[in-house]
Amino acid sequence: MRFLRQTLTIAAKDLRSEIRTKESLNAAISFAIVILVLFSFAVDPSSEQIKEMSGGLLWLVFAFAGALILNRSFARELSNDCLDALVSSPIPGSALFLGKAVANFVLLMVVEFVSMPIFGILYNMDWMRQPLWLAAVLVMATWGITVIGTMFSALTVNLRMRELMLPTLIYPMMIPALMAAMRLTTLLINGEGIPADDWIWVRLIVGFDIIFTSLAVTLVEVVLVG
Amino acid sequence: MDSRNFTYMFYGLGAAWLILALYVLTLVSRESRLRRELDSVKRMLEDRERAAKA
Amino acid sequence: MREKILYGVGLIAGLYLVRNLYQILLVLPDEVDQGAIYRILLFHVPAWITCFTAYFLAGAASVMYLIKKNLNYDTFCVAAVEVGLAFTLIGLATGSIWARIIWGIWWTWDARLTWALITCIIYSGYLMLRHAVDDPTARAKNSAVLCIFSYASVIITYKSIDWWRTQHPGAVLSIRTGGGRMDPAMESILFQNAVALLMLAAVMVAVRMRQEETQREVESLRRYAHAAA
Repeated sequence: MRFLRQTLTIAAKDLRSEIRTKESLNAAISFAIVILVLFSFAVDPSSEQIKEMSGGLLWLVFAFAGALILNRSFARELSNDCLDALVSSPIPGSALFLGKAVANFVLLMVVEFVSMPIFGILYNMDWMRQPLWLAAVLVMATWGITVIGTMFSALTVNLRMRELMLPTLIYPMMIPALMAAMRLTTLLINGEGIPADDWIWVRLIVGFDIIFTSLAVTLVEVVLVG
Repeated sequence: MDSRNFTYMFYGLGAAWLILALYVLTLVSRESRLRRELDSVKRMLEDRERAAKA
Repeated sequence: MREKILYGVGLIAGLYLVRNLYQILLVLPDEVDQGAIYRILLFHVPAWITCFTAYFLAGAASVMYLIKKNLNYDTFCVAAVEVGLAFTLIGLATGSIWARIIWGIWWTWDARLTWALITCIIYSGYLMLRHAVDDPTARAKNSAVLCIFSYASVIITYKSIDWWRTQHPGAVLSIRTGGGRMDPAMESILFQNAVALLMLAAVMVAVRMRQEETQREVESLRRYAHAAA
């Protein structure tokens, strides 16, 4: 109970400061829209082909926009030694991590909910055919991305070339979640259910979330405190 | 002879040995570079000590 | 003394490899379907066995480092990852050349190949991360965490042939199938090659570990010199 409250306190703190400054949310949303527009030049947006690529396109956008949010997550605490203060406060490192992960998760979900309708309009796509399943996939895959991203954001916060190291490290790591999300999103946007063959991807995402969340929660104390 | 694909077999084995050899070469070159660096740092420290004594 | 043992083991491994090569090229017959090209696999599979072993030991050493905080584990970890990466490249290159003949293409994006490539990229990222941190304990700590995370991709690569229908052949070794998928004489040479490559890898890891120690010594002397100046 106490742990939950501490987690929520951190998440609320991060979200509040984000709402006041809107620095990463603005950047992430406009970046996502720019990529969505740019992509229409790469493929013919009115063709059938775009249906096959929709999941891949969307998740690339989310992953790139996500990196902008994740980059700031721990780096924001560097000025005025806020990170040291947070680490020495009576909150366990795992609560600090989970709080930040929840905040990033919420921000990334906002980006996704803004991008989805824009995507639907620009590419003439009816993406609401399987709303429940699509929402479930979005939630599960976004959580996987934010867990990896927040963990590596903590890992790379003190590095030279932080902005460069974070994407190079997280994208290969996220591939299991991204691959599954791309495949499932394409299926669901095209209005099909999930055929028996593709259930492996759902299992993959769930396994990814469970394994990496527990790994990150166990190891984050070491990363933050040493 | 090549219906048995001997050429590509030799390419494959060659590639394996080539990569091994390249890795060993990087090991050797790093060894000599490290030894040089260690020597130069040690010499620098000794010089400084001698200068401090004098 | 340590040097002599190292070079001794290295020499034995080299001779063993040459002897295996003689067996592979001149004693074993061609395979029925594949002709001569299957001989590549007698290096391909042992290279992957070696690299998976190296990554596994690196992961175990990372866990040990986080428990014991002894820098020797970190030294082992970086050596094992680097040698593992060399064998990953061997595995990818030999597999690609084999595929050119059997499938007619150098590369295909099936699950096994994709995950193998991802593993290769992830562990290169590990070496990159090490370059970006100067302080030895911070470097050891961060890279140990990264190494533990990376091991997930090794597991997925290993299991991918069971989880997905891949163009890459399924399990053939008798330890995974219970036998019958591969000629015993060929399999025996394959395992002997694996032993030889593992010995070679062990020597490389030992050499690389000593270099890492020297590297740390140089760094600490430099820091000492700057502090004194």
